[in-house]
Amino acid sequence: MAEKFDNLEEHLEKFVENIRQLGIIVSDFQPSSQTGLSQKLNFMITGLQDIEKCRQQLHDINVPLEVFEYIDQGRNPQLYTKECLESALAKNEQVKGKIDTLTKFKSLLISELGKIFPEEMTKYKAIHGDDPPS
Amino acid sequence: MTEIYSTLFGQNDTQPPTGPAALGFGPGKPLPPMPTNQAPVAAQIPGQLGDEGPTLRKPGAMNEPFYLLRELPVGNDLTGNTNLITHYSLEHAFNKFCGKKVKEKLSNFLPELPGMIDCPGIQDGSSLHSLIEKPPVCGNSFSPLTGALLTGFRLHTGPLPEQYRLMHIQPPKKKSKNKYRHHRPQDPLPPETPSDSDPKKKKKKRDDDPDRKKKKKDKKKKKNRHSPDHPGLTGSQPNSLR
Repeated sequence: MAEKFDNLEEHLEKFVENIRQLGIIVSDFQPSSQTGLSQKLNFMITGLQDIEKCRQQLHDINVPLEVFEYIDQGRNPQLYTKECLESALAKNEQVKGKIDTLTKFKSLLISELGKIFPEEMTKYKAIHGDDPPS
Repeated sequence: MTEIYSTLFGQNDTQPPTGPAALGFGPGKPLPPMPTNQAPVAAQIPGQLGDEGPTLRKPGAMNEPFYLLRELPVGNDLTGNTNLITHYSLEHAFNKFCGKKVKEKLSNFLPELPGMIDCPGIQDGSSLHSLIEKPPVCGNSFSPLTGALLTGFRLHTGPLPEQYRLMHIQPPKKKSKNKYRHHRPQDPLPPETPSDSDPKKKKKKRDDDPDRKKKKKDKKKKKNRHSPDHPGLTGSQPNSLR
């Protein structure tokens, strides 16, 4: 899996470097640099071909759209991962709190109902069985 | 719904029973015995009500005095009670992203990428969002440019006009110490690259300008006039000690 990303990363780095050099040539063009320009243009096309080949290996990779918003704002996309993990942990703790509270409520309710309706609660426990404390 | 109650409790009346007895909240009255001919109908009821959540217990079961007692839902092993980060072995990722401070800028994530990437993409039309909204035309294969096609790339000599200069192109920063990053191969620049692109030579060109030489000379003269070591100034300075 990491090899696929490394391969794509390498091709992208080469492509970007090629484009950067192309920009330098074009910014102050001289007649002697025409062949170099043609070479760089063809490198650009082969770079795109290589990137196109990498696409087939990564067809099952899904990227959340929210990450694109971070990149468009010039922010580090790792912040998205960080915020996802933090919100997952917070939600996990919140749900755990709810489960614990409801478990305590259930045990209190059963004990109080057992005091008020002892016969009915014994029948209830016989039907449902003794629910193990969750 | 009232028809179901009549079949459950053996009432032959078509009209639904009224009052609390119909709802089973009577003061402990014994239920009428189930007629045998209605047992198959009663047995079909749980199937009909299957789409209303947990199935009702069979009326034949000893559910007295409970009414509409449902099965408990099947316990799920994975609930919010467990630490999901530990369950999915994400401790390393959590410590990596949440334990340390993650830098804000995009250039910290991509240090080798040239250009001013920390600016919002909307400003220069390079946003990924616009790429999703208006995807480029795909499907055609990439073919190298032939000689005839390359004639379209014959450029005029000289520097670009100011308005077209990409001043935001920056050389890549220092390489990050990352074992997954491959060593960048140094593409040899073509031998015919213009000498003007070399920064040292650019500086020399600047120095060769006659106007700049004159300006520098003037500046030097002004500095020398105002320096305390200048012989013409020691007598004229009011604060000089004698």
